[in-house]
Amino acid sequence: MSSESSKKRKPKVIRSDGAPAEGKRTRSDTEQEGKYYSEEAEVDLRDPGRDYELYKYTCQELQRLMAEIQDLKSRGGKDAAVEIEDRRIQSCVHFMTLKKLNRLAHIRLKKGRDQTHEAKQKVDAYHLQLQNLLYEVMHLQKEITKCLEFKSKHEEIDLVSLEEFYKEAPPDISKAEVTMGDPHQQTLARLDWELEQRKRLAEKYRECLSNKEKILKEIEVKKEYLSSLQPRLNSIMQASLPVQEYLFMPFDQAHKQYETARHLPPPLYVLFVQATAYGQACDKMLSVAIEGSVDEAKALFKPPEDSQDDESDSDAEEEQTTKRRRPTLGVQLDDKRKEMLKRHPLSVLLDLKCKDDSVLHLTFYYLMNLNIMTVKARVTTATELITPISAGDLLSPDSVLSCLYPGDHGKKTPNPANQYQFDKVGILTLRDYVLDLGHPYLWVQKLGGLHFPKEQPQHTVITDHSLSASHMETTMKLLKTRVQSRLALHKQFASLEHGIVPVTSDCHYLFPAKVVSRLVKWVTIAHEDYTELHFTKDIVEAGLAGDTNLYYMALVERGTAKLQAAVVLNPGYSSIPPIFQLCLNWKGEKTNNNDDNIRAMESEVNVCYKELCGPRPGHQLLTNQLQRLCVLLDVYLETESHDDSVEGPKEFPQEKMCLRLFRGPSRIKPFKYNHPQGFFSHR
Amino acid sequence: MERAAQQAVPLGQMEVFEALQRLHMTVFSQSVSPCGKFLAAGNNYGQIAIFSLSAALSSEAKEESKKPMVTFQAHDGPVYSMVSTDRHLLSAGDGEVKAWLWAEILKKGCKELWRRQPPYRTSLEVPEINALLLVPKENLLILAGGDCQLHAMDLETGTFMWALRGHTDYIHCLALRERSPEVLSGGEDGAVRLWDLRTAKEVQTIEVYKHEECSRPHNGRWIGCLATDSDWMVCGGGPALTLWHLRSSTPTTVFPMRAPQKHVTFYQDLILSAGQGRCVNQWQLSGELKAQVPGSSPGLLSLSLNQQPAAPECKVLTAAGNSCRVDVFTNLGYRAFSLSF
Repeated sequence: MSSESSKKRKPKVIRSDGAPAEGKRTRSDTEQEGKYYSEEAEVDLRDPGRDYELYKYTCQELQRLMAEIQDLKSRGGKDAAVEIEDRRIQSCVHFMTLKKLNRLAHIRLKKGRDQTHEAKQKVDAYHLQLQNLLYEVMHLQKEITKCLEFKSKHEEIDLVSLEEFYKEAPPDISKAEVTMGDPHQQTLARLDWELEQRKRLAEKYRECLSNKEKILKEIEVKKEYLSSLQPRLNSIMQASLPVQEYLFMPFDQAHKQYETARHLPPPLYVLFVQATAYGQACDKMLSVAIEGSVDEAKALFKPPEDSQDDESDSDAEEEQTTKRRRPTLGVQLDDKRKEMLKRHPLSVLLDLKCKDDSVLHLTFYYLMNLNIMTVKARVTTATELITPISAGDLLSPDSVLSCLYPGDHGKKTPNPANQYQFDKVGILTLRDYVLDLGHPYLWVQKLGGLHFPKEQPQHTVITDHSLSASHMETTMKLLKTRVQSRLALHKQFASLEHGIVPVTSDCHYLFPAKVVSRLVKWVTIAHEDYTELHFTKDIVEAGLAGDTNLYYMALVERGTAKLQAAVVLNPGYSSIPPIFQLCLNWKGEKTNNNDDNIRAMESEVNVCYKELCGPRPGHQLLTNQLQRLCVLLDVYLETESHDDSVEGPKEFPQEKMCLRLFRGPSRIKPFKYNHPQGFFSHR
Repeated sequence: MERAAQQAVPLGQMEVFEALQRLHMTVFSQSVSPCGKFLAAGNNYGQIAIFSLSAALSSEAKEESKKPMVTFQAHDGPVYSMVSTDRHLLSAGDGEVKAWLWAEILKKGCKELWRRQPPYRTSLEVPEINALLLVPKENLLILAGGDCQLHAMDLETGTFMWALRGHTDYIHCLALRERSPEVLSGGEDGAVRLWDLRTAKEVQTIEVYKHEECSRPHNGRWIGCLATDSDWMVCGGGPALTLWHLRSSTPTTVFPMRAPQKHVTFYQDLILSAGQGRCVNQWQLSGELKAQVPGSSPGLLSLSLNQQPAAPECKVLTAAGNSCRVDVFTNLGYRAFSLSF
């Protein structure tokens, strides 16, 4: 029994415990049935479950024994004491067992706790290690990313491209063998090369700077030298003036003109330059001069960017002063108008001399606020002209240059922006002022290089030399032709008014020798009167009778026949032919509405005009047309078929040689004259 | 504001010349294409213009539809007369007759197919050809004009077969009397002559000016226009417009028209005539004036009725004369619009 074994071992148990037991424990492990007894070792050997059973059994025994003792004590008796003693000893033994069990339990508990504590400690240590490691990992990662993100300064430099580098760099820097394989070395090599190049360039820069300094110094020296020359040259020029005059080379005069020209406003300057150039190159008969006050121009003319502001300032000032001095609105408006229409003080004068010694004087002005150029024209002839009545308008300054180019009547401002300006000051149209200011023809603007696109108003002054140059030659030629044709007409009108159609000798071949019909009247008529005539409706409807044309009435007579001819003279004569409309009064009134032959006569004069132009430049057109009209009337009257019912001879015996009298469905008379055979035929 | 100028475009030399040409243009002849959709018009400058009637008559016609599709210079002189066969356009003016293919012209390829000149007697002046007449049964083309003869040309071979003489002054107009077949010609000498085509001889002569009812000596004796309806003939010109019965050579009706007429034609039961004066006149056979429809030209020289069966929608009357315009009458009562060169 265990109680018996524990009895035997009891005194050893009390003595062995604590530290010395430790050393001994190991020994007791090896010597199980050894000399002395270790309770700790015993614990490991015993089964806790069995101990528990033992405990329960012992408790039960104790309880039993106690109960028996109780019994015995309560009964009393003699042998009870022995029995009680016996039982008492048994219970003491049980108590001993219990005590042992208790000790064992305690030891077990302690062991368990120790083990747990140890394990826990280990776990804690591991945990700490883990934390440390994690922290280190994080730190290292941060470091790594930092390292990776590191941008070295060298990446900011633009290096030359790889191929260039290998091409240009000397081999000791590029070290191709090494660098091709190793990008790090390559970058290093490239940086090296970069550095080399920069050093070289810095050197060059320093050299250039020093060069520049040197040159600047030289320039200074030369400038001083030149400025010292200036007074000497002036004196030489002065001395040479008499020589120039003697030799007819007016360089000085031209120079002075160029000086004045510098003060011209840009459009007039362009005109001046182009006209002078043209005059020198192509046309010796053209002379250019500048008129006007240079001082005023200097006062006005400042560099182009300021001129607009300046003028608006001076405008504002003037407005203010006028407001203070003159409170009336009307006069104020008048002043504003005058201001708007103000001319630049300088003007360019062009004199075009023609072959017959007549001169066309053109004065060009520049209207500053409106930014347009105008021209005033005047024709002077070598000999004094007696103006016939009908020629009044031919050479008048107002109309002599009208419609030089088709449609260019010069009564409206060509700059669309001006309309807005006019609205501000109540000017309706420039037409009212052209007599004073000159005509703003489109060709004048083009000569000054001013280009006005039709749609948008233009506020900036763009003066274009190429525009001016291309128009210069054409315009000069047109001007000359215009003057000459007007003068030719002038002379012709003088003769026409006397009833003589002046046919020059080189146009005689166009007409037969004998012309019986005579021109009896040649007068001007007004535009409104022309449009009122009943036989001119077609021309008016076709838009050929505008208000820029000149209108005349001619009367041709033969016997009782009277032929009225209404003539439209286009300003572009003689390139644009005059247009005739006829009305014959003979045995009734015949016009192109009711007589096909009148229509044919008009066609002969209007449509077939090219043969009547005569020698170039064709100034004989009008007189030839009139002569032809007389011839046509002759033919018409003479070939009129005789009416058998009326008695008497024909009023006009046929003297013209005609092959046939009528031809075609319209039965037209033979109006075409054939030279030199001298007979009439049909077209 | 400035007065709006009557001319919108500044007139340079070219524009003025063109405007003058148009003002003095006379359209002498017209001819309808075989398909009926196109109209050819010839003017005094020798130009022929082709107008598209179908385009101008359609509902979405614009201003350009009233202009020619193509204009070409056909002759040196005026184009006095034109006819169309089923493939060709024949035009004649100054002494020559030229042929053009309609198909080519419509494609704007204007090259003449052939040209022929009848054998003239005189050589001083080339006589004009005033009238062309097609005789479809015999495939003949008859030309007449300034040399006072009628020439017949075979359209197959182009040879001139015979010439009929008899007129003493130049011939204005021709008409075909299908039944016989006979050709009527009217001329400046005041006579209407009938010729038999088979025998090539003059069969009948009517001297219109000798008849009191219709002669008008102050106008002259010339016969400007002829039309025939087999038994009947209407002619006019210097003498008044008169309806004749051919067999008896008597004038039955004199139409009271003062102005000389230059073109006359039978249409259904009416007679249409035009001449000096703006109007196209419509007459009943009895001599009454049914209507006078004014055109846009001051005098008319040519009327053309488009009766081609292939294009019934283009059945219009077109009138042309002393202007550059060809008036189109869709309904004989009024002028619808004008085509213009």
